[in-house]
Amino acid sequence: MSYRVVHYINQFFAQIGGEEMAHVAPELRDGFVGPGMALNTAWKGEVEIVKTIVCGDSYFAEHEKEATEQILSWVEAEKPDLFIAGPAFNAGRYGYACATICNAVQEKLGIRVLTGMYEENPGADLKNKVLMVATTNSAAGMRKAAPTMAALALKILKGEKLGACVEEGYMPNGIRVNFFEKERGAKRAVDMLVKKLNGQPFTTEYPMPSFDRVAPNKAIKDLSKATIALCTSGGIVPKGNPDHIESSSASHYGEYCIAGVDDLTAETYETAHGGYDPVYANADADRVLPVDILREFEKEGKIGKLHDYYYSTVGNGTSVANAKKFAAEYAQKLRNAGVHAVIMTST
Amino acid sequence: MESKKHYLIVTNNPLVVECLPKDYALDYEEISYREVLVKVRDLVYSGHRMYTHPLSGSVKPNETPYKSIVVSREPKAMDLSEAEIISNSIQTYDKFVPCSRVFTPQVYKDFQLIDYTLLCGALDVDAVAGLSNRKI
Amino acid sequence: MKLELGYIQINDIQFSKECKVENGTLYVDPDAVKAFMYEDDDVKDWVKSFKFDIAKPGENVRITPVKDVIEPRVKVEGPGGVFPGVISKVDTVGSGKTHVLRGMAVVTAGKIVGFQEGIIDMTGPGAAYTPFSKLNNFVVVAEPKEGYENHKHEYEHAVRIAGLRAATFIGELGRAVAPDETAEFETLGIREGLEKYPNLPRVAYVHMLQSQGLLHDTYVYGVDAKRSLTTIINPTETMDGAILSGNCVSACDKNTTYHHQNNPVVAELFAAHGKTLNYVCNIITNENVYLADKQRSSDWTAKLCRLLDLDGAIVSQEGFGNPDTDLIMNTKKIEQQGVKTTIITDEYAGQDGKSQSLADADPLADAVVTGGNANEVIVLPKMDKVIGMLDYVDVIAGGHAGSLREDGSIEAEIQIITGATNEMGFNCMSAR
Repeated sequence: MSYRVVHYINQFFAQIGGEEMAHVAPELRDGFVGPGMALNTAWKGEVEIVKTIVCGDSYFAEHEKEATEQILSWVEAEKPDLFIAGPAFNAGRYGYACATICNAVQEKLGIRVLTGMYEENPGADLKNKVLMVATTNSAAGMRKAAPTMAALALKILKGEKLGACVEEGYMPNGIRVNFFEKERGAKRAVDMLVKKLNGQPFTTEYPMPSFDRVAPNKAIKDLSKATIALCTSGGIVPKGNPDHIESSSASHYGEYCIAGVDDLTAETYETAHGGYDPVYANADADRVLPVDILREFEKEGKIGKLHDYYYSTVGNGTSVANAKKFAAEYAQKLRNAGVHAVIMTST
Repeated sequence: MESKKHYLIVTNNPLVVECLPKDYALDYEEISYREVLVKVRDLVYSGHRMYTHPLSGSVKPNETPYKSIVVSREPKAMDLSEAEIISNSIQTYDKFVPCSRVFTPQVYKDFQLIDYTLLCGALDVDAVAGLSNRKI
Repeated sequence: MKLELGYIQINDIQFSKECKVENGTLYVDPDAVKAFMYEDDDVKDWVKSFKFDIAKPGENVRITPVKDVIEPRVKVEGPGGVFPGVISKVDTVGSGKTHVLRGMAVVTAGKIVGFQEGIIDMTGPGAAYTPFSKLNNFVVVAEPKEGYENHKHEYEHAVRIAGLRAATFIGELGRAVAPDETAEFETLGIREGLEKYPNLPRVAYVHMLQSQGLLHDTYVYGVDAKRSLTTIINPTETMDGAILSGNCVSACDKNTTYHHQNNPVVAELFAAHGKTLNYVCNIITNENVYLADKQRSSDWTAKLCRLLDLDGAIVSQEGFGNPDTDLIMNTKKIEQQGVKTTIITDEYAGQDGKSQSLADADPLADAVVTGGNANEVIVLPKMDKVIGMLDYVDVIAGGHAGSLREDGSIEAEIQIITGATNEMGFNCMSAR
């Protein structure tokens, strides 16, 4: 008995067509299609692609929810040992689809997954959640990517312990794994330093955790004349969550008017956040978004004015790319409204 | 180095109480290693300076139950780098698998001794002299 | 300063009434070693007894708890003697000629504190993690006199001296033996180096020394490193034992005396010297507990790097937690002087490998070599023979409840293995 795999590819690799055919809805085919052949060959009968799901990139991007549901139902019916998507190389929407559908399959169905793409593909945002093989940035890298993915798939299927990412070919996924290099550490250090001194590229063995530090603006000279806005990633929304901000992995943010509101109460506001115990935020949302205190400051003349609108999203698993996009948008709105400073609260 | 009258030693180590010269101000409580870190963090946040590294010693935080940290007696202004060090130390503490072992009394004494000695080294106090005052 | 090392390959050790090195075999009389160790008053005062054993590569043997590992060397020409300021007089070493008994080590073992640590397995999965499994080890197990519980400082000192004396005694046996191989190491004066290699980048080694207190100390010419300011030392001085380990905690990333004598960064920089870089000198700096000391020492390190007009520096670390802060302070400040750095460290990323590896971080530390994740769990099978004692295994670093299992195997983190994640880059192990 060989292991059973379901493979996901896009319209291009299924040879339906390029951009002009990217609108095609998901379809289910028997056996392998396109790049699946290379995988099948590498497995020499130990593993078999039983079904291939083909979906247009635009279709997935524009109907993510429907497409995901359809694909999940097909995968669930097939009960494969492993779900593979791609490799997507540097195709942005394809990579996003591969990563997203893999993540859904593993979270919703508990089936193990594997995909592959170029490290700068936007889909690689999910590399800490979905196991991804690092490929080159064009489909010309298929000859190298397929055997790597096939070998990794076999290890996963056999339940073998994965080696370090540099040995196995997957993207660094935040899990540190020991292995033995050919050279000792001191030699590697000297070689790395010489490269650094000569301006040649080198790869650190431990990338420092990246802090996207923002240099603070100049201090406001006179707070009593400043308009201050409140923003939060703590998910505070008017009761009922009118914009349906998701409890995790938020896809948008909300803009809400608080003109005339002096206090957020259990009757009027709540949190949409699914990543912390909401009891205290729901009882008194000022705990997350301190409207009451800022109103006091406004009355006392400590600040000029509390801005009439606040912006809110949920920072629970929300991708950095999305968060940046939201902020860029409402920062412009704040600027146009003449806001001088923002208090951003997190949870 | 500050004069000793500026120091407050936050500790859960009874050997420090017993052996450190009496003119050092101590904040001793029978609390966990982590609680000492948290107490110091709150002090740093409220403006106390931190003078010694919270992860002193290579004995891992899930092994030794004892920790002594020197801070300023009076709050000054919060030092950002010290706030960062103490927060990072709590994060580091939390990544070790919790310790469920029970040691022999002698091992606890050894843990106390190491913490006490590291503290003495930092304060430039003669650790051995202090030990000789101990009631055995 | 120029030093010639003459390597005498030792392939076997045998107990014998006659002490000599002949055809690659060390013949040694334990009683003679013992007598030489007891000539020291502190050893006499605190050590009740010594037991001796030999452990060879591939044997089914476990040595534990390991205190220090020392390579026997003897000064045959030039000023000073080995382990200056401790065993020999304080004369400057690092020039002339030194003989090395290569392929062997003196290993000191035995309890000092109840949670002491360090395992060397001569075979099995654990052997791959420690460089000392590849050596012929002359093991000295010390036992304290009664009442030592209240004199741990004195006892630690006595065992440290005993190990150094044993190595001195054995090293002396190589004095008149013709080396199998010789190598020369030379450090030029600042101007000489500049004139000889005008186009090569100037590189120094920033060698961080553990200096926190009892069982966490390093000695330089006999001086406790925590009482020293950052300073310059010739790379060859370390080869004659100018830097000695008094560090017994965190077995995986403590630098034993053997590591200092055979410092891999020194070796690799010498190998690259005159080819891809100009190896200027070593800068030694400490890892104190007092935060102001850290600031002063790291400021001083950066200042020396600038003063020496360096282009690059390699920074190595010792220990866990507190030294991460020194490492990052040093690196950041050196980089801010316009001197490029590569650093060597190890990681505590949790048993699942998912936690932040270091207790401190900075984006300027962009070139890192790692000795691996010390929290990784390993099972060490039972060995036929244990040199030392196992009763404390449950309490050593990285062990956890039940780590000494009923079948005699040990389940623990690799941090219990001596030298496993060495932060001088002694090993091939790494992590990603």
